[in-house]
Amino acid sequence: MQELDVAINSIRVRFGSQALTRAAELPPPQPWPSRTPIDRLTGIGGLPHGRLTLLCGNGTCGKLTLALLLLAGATREFAHAVVIDTGSSFDPWTLIPFYPELSALTVVRAPALDLAGEAAIALARAGAGFILLMGEIPEHALGPLESGAGRSGTVIVGVVDAPGRAFAHASSLSVGFSRTDWIWERGQLVGLRATARCLKNRVAPPLGETELAIRYRLGARPLSDHPVQVAEVPRELTCESAVV
Amino acid sequence: MRICCGLTNHLELARRPDLYGNPVVVGLWEEHVVAVSVEALPFGVTPGMALRQAEHLCPQATFLPPDPESAAHLRELISSALYDLAPTVEVRVEGVAWLDVNGVVSAGESIREARRRLRTAIGREPRLGLGPGPFSARLAAARARPGRLVQVDKAKTFLSPLSSHELPLDAEQLERLDLLGLRTLGAVAAIGPRELESQLGRDGRHAVLLARGLEPDQLTPWRPPLFTSAHRQFEEPVEDREALLFVGRALCGDLAEELGLRGAGAKHVRVRLHFESAEREQRETVVRHPLSSAAELFGLIGSWIKEWQPRAPITELWIELPVLEGAGRRQLRLWAGGDGTSEEVTAALERLQERWGDDVVRKPRPAQLSSPLPSQRFA
Repeated sequence: MQELDVAINSIRVRFGSQALTRAAELPPPQPWPSRTPIDRLTGIGGLPHGRLTLLCGNGTCGKLTLALLLLAGATREFAHAVVIDTGSSFDPWTLIPFYPELSALTVVRAPALDLAGEAAIALARAGAGFILLMGEIPEHALGPLESGAGRSGTVIVGVVDAPGRAFAHASSLSVGFSRTDWIWERGQLVGLRATARCLKNRVAPPLGETELAIRYRLGARPLSDHPVQVAEVPRELTCESAVV
Repeated sequence: MRICCGLTNHLELARRPDLYGNPVVVGLWEEHVVAVSVEALPFGVTPGMALRQAEHLCPQATFLPPDPESAAHLRELISSALYDLAPTVEVRVEGVAWLDVNGVVSAGESIREARRRLRTAIGREPRLGLGPGPFSARLAAARARPGRLVQVDKAKTFLSPLSSHELPLDAEQLERLDLLGLRTLGAVAAIGPRELESQLGRDGRHAVLLARGLEPDQLTPWRPPLFTSAHRQFEEPVEDREALLFVGRALCGDLAEELGLRGAGAKHVRVRLHFESAEREQRETVVRHPLSSAAELFGLIGSWIKEWQPRAPITELWIELPVLEGAGRRQLRLWAGGDGTSEEVTAALERLQERWGDDVVRKPRPAQLSSPLPSQRFA
């Protein structure tokens, strides 16, 4: 213990008093309560401001639905919610069932990865409230993106099937989705059940898992009358089964 | 209206402060005298007379050729030094500086600071006058001792006993005033503008208004030059892009500091690279939103440098901001949190559009939501 103190002191003398800080003394990241089931998985009651959160999982597992739910909430709470659409796959029409405030929504079409990276950095530095990355951005843009968001407090959410090594490393929170079951009613497919599992958490210690039921209502009513329900299936947290 | 006037010697004389205390005459041979030091005046040398005549009157004086460029440069320096003391400033090479101190919170402080800055620039104590207009302030300053201020409350009362030769009229017009028996400003003020206009033309009417203290003249406000630039010359030609980025960042920092002092933003950005082969390349753009911080400037210029493919080693890097405009609306952030940030996000989106095209950024608006074609659902 004494040797550890000596080592800590020598590091502080050589590299400055801020080179080593106790985790308990670090300011906690401020949460943005998104009022979605994912809040409970973060450990701080919301998505962390100024950090990158990843929603990942193979196709049709509910990650995009949850991302759209987060985006719609962000359009109601922030002055600027921006979608950086790397694959030209974002259709605002899919956002309508979540009742977004469209005046706050901006879509950046970024067919080139460099453009996506530049847009993400510029908007994070400028202080956009919420940025939804619909794909990965170049590795060299991740550092400036992190520092820019760290200063401005931008909430950044990335949606990818399987994140690359650098993208995963840059994230502070990674939530993996996997579909467990389809939901059928009267012989018709109306939704799916998915497991959301916290794969990485740099903002709070515990890792958690929860089960979501996502129901897409069908019928002849206008689209805006079709709220998509994302509900948490009550069950105990299964920390033991979490994958590190 | 309150105008402060600082009187110094002619700016042509300020080029040689080592000659202060000696008679100095500035002018070109075979031409007229441009400036005369106070010490040469008792010999009868006056601006406007032939230089030969001046030499005859005061042969011991030092005769200097005029340098209008240096004088104009000094005038710019003094103007920029006084500009942050009052919103309206006019400086003339004859050695007259006016500051409009109307609305200035602490006019006394501004006048004291103006005195200090004029003394630093010229090397002599200025004489100061404060009056309701430029004419009375100038005459008040002419009657002040060096470093002191003469204040005029009622212009008409102050001007009345002064000689009519203080009016800005030519020699012939002044002689006619003498012939008319109008030897004081009070006498000029007593007659109607039309009467004197019939004698002297439009200048006569103007003279009456001046003599009455009505101050018909307005200051010609000096405006800071709407252009700035920074450059770096490399001792060894540079081929390394990182080195170029490093220098570019430093130049952006310098420019941002200058813009901050001026409260200005750049509307037009130009970068020039000079090559070892004496050739040059440049890139420029007009930005929709004025750039004022180092991060904004380097965000644009750094991206250019990163993708630039120079054809030869670089000997010089120039960053020019040819068009500046006030960055006043940035001040919003002082009053309401979030306004500045919102504006910065809008600016960032505009910069993306400038760089990558307008279609890159879209604000979706519902159009035909029931359309089966995704492109028709939103405008």
